[in-house]
Order: sequence, then C-alpha cells, then structure tokens
Amino acid sequence: MAEESKSKTGAVKSTDIVKRVPRLIKTMLSETHEAKAQGRPLVYCFIFSLCDEIVRAMGMTPVWPENWAAFCAALHLTEGYLNKANAAGFSDKLCTYSTCGLGFDIMRSELGEAPPDSPFGGLPKPDVMIGAGLLLCDARHKWFQSAQQYTNVPLYNMGVMTPPYDVDPNEVEGYYIEYMVEELRGLVEFLEKVTGRKMNWDDLSHLLDVSDETNDIWYKAYQLRKAVPAPMPTEDALSAFAPNACLMGTNIALDFCRDLYKEVKYRVDNKIGVIPDEKFRLLWGIGIPPWYALMLFNLFEQRGAVFPIEAMYRPWEPVEIPKGATHPLERLAWRFYRRATYRHDKARKRSGDADVELLIDYIDDYKIDGVVLHRAYSCRTLHVGQLHQLAVLKQYRNLPTLILESDMVDMRSFSEDDVNSKIETFIEVLDAHKTKTTGKG
Amino acid sequence: MNKAKFAGTGLAAAEQIYKERSLRARELSKEGKKVMGYFCAYPPLEMLTAVDVVPYRIMGNPRMAPVRVEAYLESITCSFVRSCFELALNNDYDFLDGFIACHACDNLIKVYNVWRHNFKPPFSYFVNVPNTTSPASLKFFRAELSMFQRRLESFTGRQISEQQLIAAIKLHNENRSLMREVYALRKPDPPLISSVEMNKILVASQSIPVEESNQLLHKVIRDIKARTESPTRKTIRLMIVGPEIDDSPLFELIEDTGASVVVDDTCIGTKVYWRDVEMKGDPLNNLAERYLNKVKCPRTVRQSTQNSAEDLDARFGHILDLAREFNVNGVILYILRYCDNFGYDVPELKSYLEKAGLPVFHIEDDYLVNSARLKTRVEAFIEMIS
Repeated sequence: MAEESKSKTGAVKSTDIVKRVPRLIKTMLSETHEAKAQGRPLVYCFIFSLCDEIVRAMGMTPVWPENWAAFCAALHLTEGYLNKANAAGFSDKLCTYSTCGLGFDIMRSELGEAPPDSPFGGLPKPDVMIGAGLLLCDARHKWFQSAQQYTNVPLYNMGVMTPPYDVDPNEVEGYYIEYMVEELRGLVEFLEKVTGRKMNWDDLSHLLDVSDETNDIWYKAYQLRKAVPAPMPTEDALSAFAPNACLMGTNIALDFCRDLYKEVKYRVDNKIGVIPDEKFRLLWGIGIPPWYALMLFNLFEQRGAVFPIEAMYRPWEPVEIPKGATHPLERLAWRFYRRATYRHDKARKRSGDADVELLIDYIDDYKIDGVVLHRAYSCRTLHVGQLHQLAVLKQYRNLPTLILESDMVDMRSFSEDDVNSKIETFIEVLDAHKTKTTGKG
Repeated sequence: MNKAKFAGTGLAAAEQIYKERSLRARELSKEGKKVMGYFCAYPPLEMLTAVDVVPYRIMGNPRMAPVRVEAYLESITCSFVRSCFELALNNDYDFLDGFIACHACDNLIKVYNVWRHNFKPPFSYFVNVPNTTSPASLKFFRAELSMFQRRLESFTGRQISEQQLIAAIKLHNENRSLMREVYALRKPDPPLISSVEMNKILVASQSIPVEESNQLLHKVIRDIKARTESPTRKTIRLMIVGPEIDDSPLFELIEDTGASVVVDDTCIGTKVYWRDVEMKGDPLNNLAERYLNKVKCPRTVRQSTQNSAEDLDARFGHILDLAREFNVNGVILYILRYCDNFGYDVPELKSYLEKAGLPVFHIEDDYLVNSARLKTRVEAFIEMIS
C-alpha cells in the first residue's frame, strides 16, 4: 500500500463539488493576471483578516500569497522558492508559507517578471500589501514587511485584536471594537490614498451580506456532516475551503456553498458515506496539513477510519451583531470579534482553553472516536500548544490521539513510511479503545 | 537569609544576587509581599511597583538541557521559553503570586495558557500589546493598561492613585537612568566593565525591587568608577543584537576569544533601559506611549513611510546609533531558533549594518549554548574583523 500511495500524493475525493475547485483556483489566479493587465490594483492579503470585502468593494483584486504557497505545495513546486528565501538569509525555521512567497518575490524581483515555470503563472507584482496578525501569527505581520524590499509597494499593517481566553469578551469589547473600527477606517483611508480609488460603502454592505450568507450556508452544510455514515471527509473540506477563503464576498463562493449544501444533503438523505464500512470517525485537530501529501487521509480510509469533520478550515458559527452596528466597518469588527470569541465563555467556565472547547464540541456533535493532529514545524501560531490541548482534552474526553509531524509546505520534512507506520499503530489503538469502551471492536 | 547578605560592594552584591537570583524575592514573599513573575520587556513594571507588588523577571538557564518540558511544550517552541518552563517545572518559580505575559510573540501567547493551566498562579494577566503604533493602537493600549490596573487593584485589594503611579514611574525612570550610566562605563577603550559583569548586573537588577535595584546600581557605579584598570584588555569591541540573552555563558565564550561585548540591543538590555516614561501628563497615557512606541522591538511593525531608507532607519536606526555611540567594531546577530519576529529581520538588518560599515556575524542557535561549536565560529568572526 505504501508503494502504491507513494506514486500518488493527492487525496482521492468523495464529493463531486470539490472537483470544481482546481478550476476555480485556476480561474481566480488567471483573473489576477487579467486585473494586472487592465490596471486594476492588486492587493497582497491574508485570508480571514477582515480585508476581503473592503478590497473588493474598492474595485481591487485581492491576492493570497499564503494560499498560493499551499497550492504550490500541493503541486510539489516549492523547493526552489524555499531555497531562494533561505539563501537570502531567511531561516528555514520561519513559516514556510512565507519563505515560499518571499522566495518567489525575490525571483520575480530579480527577473522583472514571474519565473517562466511558476505554478499558475505565478503571482503578479502587487500594488499594495495588507498585513494583519490577528491575536496571533507573527508571520502575518512580518512577512509583508520583509517582502517590501522585493515588491517596493506600500504596506498597511492592521491591528486586529481579540482578548485571551481568560478574559470575559463582554467586559472589554468596548475598546476592542473601537480599536478595530479605527484600524479598518485607517485601512480604507490608506487604500484610497495610495490607489486613488474611493470606497463605495453600499457595495461594501452588499459584499458583507453576500459573505454572511455564504458563511451561513457553508455552516449549515457542515452541520449535515454530523450524519453517520460521514457524507463528506476532511480531505474534501480542505479543497472546499479554498473558494470560501479566497473568494468570500463573491457570488462564486456563494454559489459554490449552495451547491455544496445540496450535495452534502443529498448524500446524507441517501446515506452515501465516504467509505463503505465506517469503523472509526476521527477529528482532524487544530493544525495545518501537509498540502503535498493529502493522500494520508486515504491511508486512514483504507483502514476503515474517516474524518467527518476538522477543527481547521471551517465556517464560523453564526453570531449576532448588535443592532446599532450598522456601519459596514462596525459590522466587520463585531462580526470578527463575536466569531473569534465564540467559545471564550465556555472556556472560562470549564477547560480554560477555547480551542479545547472546540474539540470537545466536535467530538460530541460528530460522534468522534479519536483525534489526529498534524504538527507543521515551521508554524508556531497553530502548532505550539497542541500538547497542552491534548492534555486538557484528556480530562474531559479520553480518546486516542495521534500527532503526525512534518510541515505544511516543506516536503523534505515528510516521511511517508513514518506516517504509514504511525497510522497503522493508531488504528490498533483505536480498535482496542473501542473494544474496551463499547465492547465492540 | 536576610537582605544583609547583599550588602557590601555593588559588584559583589550583584554577583551574589545573580548566583542566587530568587533569594531576595523569596525572602520578600515570606515577609508577605506579593511577587509577580513577568516575561519580556513589555509589561509596565511601574504599575506593579505602584501597587506594592515586586516584579520578578522570568528567565531561563542556558546551562540546563530541557527535559521535563518536552511533555508540555513542543520542540518548535522558542528554546528560551522552553527553558523558563523547565525551570518552573523544577519549582524555580513556585514563590510567585502572579504570572504576567504579554503579546510579544506567538510563543508567549501560547505559553500563557499552558503556564496558567499547569502552575495555577493566584493572579495572571496577559497584557495585549498591539502590533502597530497608530493613534488607535495607542488608545487601545491605554485602555488595556487601565484594565490591567483594575485587575491588579482587585487582586491586591489596593487602589493605585495617580500620585502612586507617578512615584513609581519616577523610580523606574531613575532605574533606567542609572543602568544607562552603567552602560556608559563601557564606552572607554578598554571598557571599565566586562560583558560578563554587565550581564550579571542586568540579571540582578531585574530580580529585586526597583528601590533596591537603584541602591545596587549606585554602588555598582561607584565600584566601577573606583577601578584603576579595566577587567578586559583593549581589544575588539562588539555589539550583540538578539532576543532574550539573559545569562552569561555566551558572554564568557565571547570574552574567552579576546573580544568584548560593549553594548547590546537585547530584550533584557537596552530595550528595557533606553527610553524613559514622560513625567508630565496622564501617567497611563505616558506608560502606553513608552511601552508601545518607544520600545524598539521587531514585534512592533511601524507603519511604512514608503521611503525605504526612512523605514529602515525607523526599524534599525537605534541599533546603528548604539553601535556608533559605543564605537563597536562588529555586531553579533544572535537569533534564537524559532524566534520569528527577530528571524524575519535578519536579511535587512544585516544588510543595513553592513552598508553602514559594520561587519555582522549572524548565528541562529538554541538558547542552550553549545560552547565548542559557537566558540569556533565567533573566533573566525573576530579574526576576520581584527
């Protein structure tokens, strides 16, 4: 089996909808090149950092270097960029999304254009960059600052904050919301100044409506995934994430989610599962997968284990925006704040950790038998604290857990034999645990 | 043990405190004083002093290999943070009444939860520091400090009056001023104080109450000024730049090569001592201004001016100023592995300093000093610039 899978590193998908994703990505990237050719400003952005709808409402095109690095990783085309960034002095321990992007930016800067063999034609040079680290992710602040020496374009670094888990969000929301609204206002003023374009507030409100509706349908579709047998696995969700992350606020993402919902519902209604004999249901915990080796999900499936849900790359829970928050920037700030603090209250009352609360919710709702995490060595943001999460989780839900180790982009860190052997052993542990707790192996 | 043990000459007292770092804090704790441990150069210590709490800097031990921490913090965590956690697991910080972390980096954000969960300090607070320096960021940070003040007041049962806060700011400004005076004694060639001694003074000062630190520094300055000859020979003068370099093995190693570190830009050195808090006006606003805008750390991204030279000056100019002020021959850029904020700056900082005529030796290493390997590389650098 190992030999067979070595020749194929992408995951076999279950749903038809996600087979559309590669085409959507290609279209999105080719539109980026068209926008450049037509003189429409291109903006380097990070997903989920509150700038999507703002950029689009001003008639500009967002570009996602982080996601482009993941696409390159899926195609096994990152090594040259990583080496280039390392040679320029960027440590190989830094976020490999960023070193992939920086390596590419260096090459484009040296050649005056994207290297001819770039995946999807590479990324055109941006006109503006927006950094935003949220509460965490140093790379999202530092990456574009470093990229500026190769792009030589204006950069706006935006403060987007959430309180730590031990703080009652209601107690501090006044100054957190005020801050984010001011930072977003600063972003709009900055973009207007450097591009000469004006914000159309009605357009922004409309885009927010569209992205709200998209997220709601996406969320409802994933609620359906609680069904047994699992109608849609994590490897499909990882693909479905791309349009939702990179095209949020557009009708493309909205239509995609509507069709996603329809297909998942059809599969649930007709009891169409991912695998014929679903023995174990696993939760993909908080951690970025190795995008170049998503076939690892199929390795689980071949052994009767399926991932009905994942704690990453998921829709936000529906949240209520205060009625008085009618200005689109206030809506954006409140929406982000309420989403990001959704489980703070639970955390303060129980585990002390909102990430653990998310895992507990999913374990209960999706009838989970075990948790699998991937530790990407180059990302502290999501991967420091995994040991803690599992230790705390054990106090509330005693399930078998597995940590796989490599990286999200750097293929050199991945050993298929090692992963295979860990999965093999984990399945045995799951089997023993199930026998012990239910009497059924 | 009582305070008298630290009496005597300043340098000897500093050495003593350095060797038994927690002794005084434990003694104060037994006397009923509240002692709180803190990470990083960002928590405003003035607020602790104002509420009669002793701030105690959490540091690691580069001589001790991490063992127990393996079960708590991943190997991809900053090795300094892991070392601190290892010490905590060994009860080195069991006397603390509180734990204060701040939004300095991803590592600290993560360790805040892990620390709280495992050591259950009676008080904990995460100071949420914005990453940008816009007027909105300053306003947010002032509000955040106000929340921190309320939490401290609630925990200690004491109110912080404006006068108390101003008095505390005055004490800490004096402390910073005295430490800068100690630094100035490294300007002569050869310097009047070695880098190993300087490191011990820094560590000692951040382990005792500010009033005692001020007394200590007065004595240290007097001792050094009374010296008739330098403890180091006239040699290569180096600057060290990096994050938490809080113990002496690295400085011992460098001095063994015949060079001398005469100034730093590190998280326990000049970042702590180089900018005062304004005394006029709203004290909370002045604290916010000092800690957010005046502390120059790569974790804070200053808004770009669209002028590359100006941007680089804003980010690194203070390092070059120090290098020139202390007349250094070269810079060691000592970056801890998995320290992303410093890591991203390496190519630009190296180029910036080299363009200014300063040779730069960049090392990426673990907090755990590997003497043999490192010494060979430092020697090669010294030989190159000699």
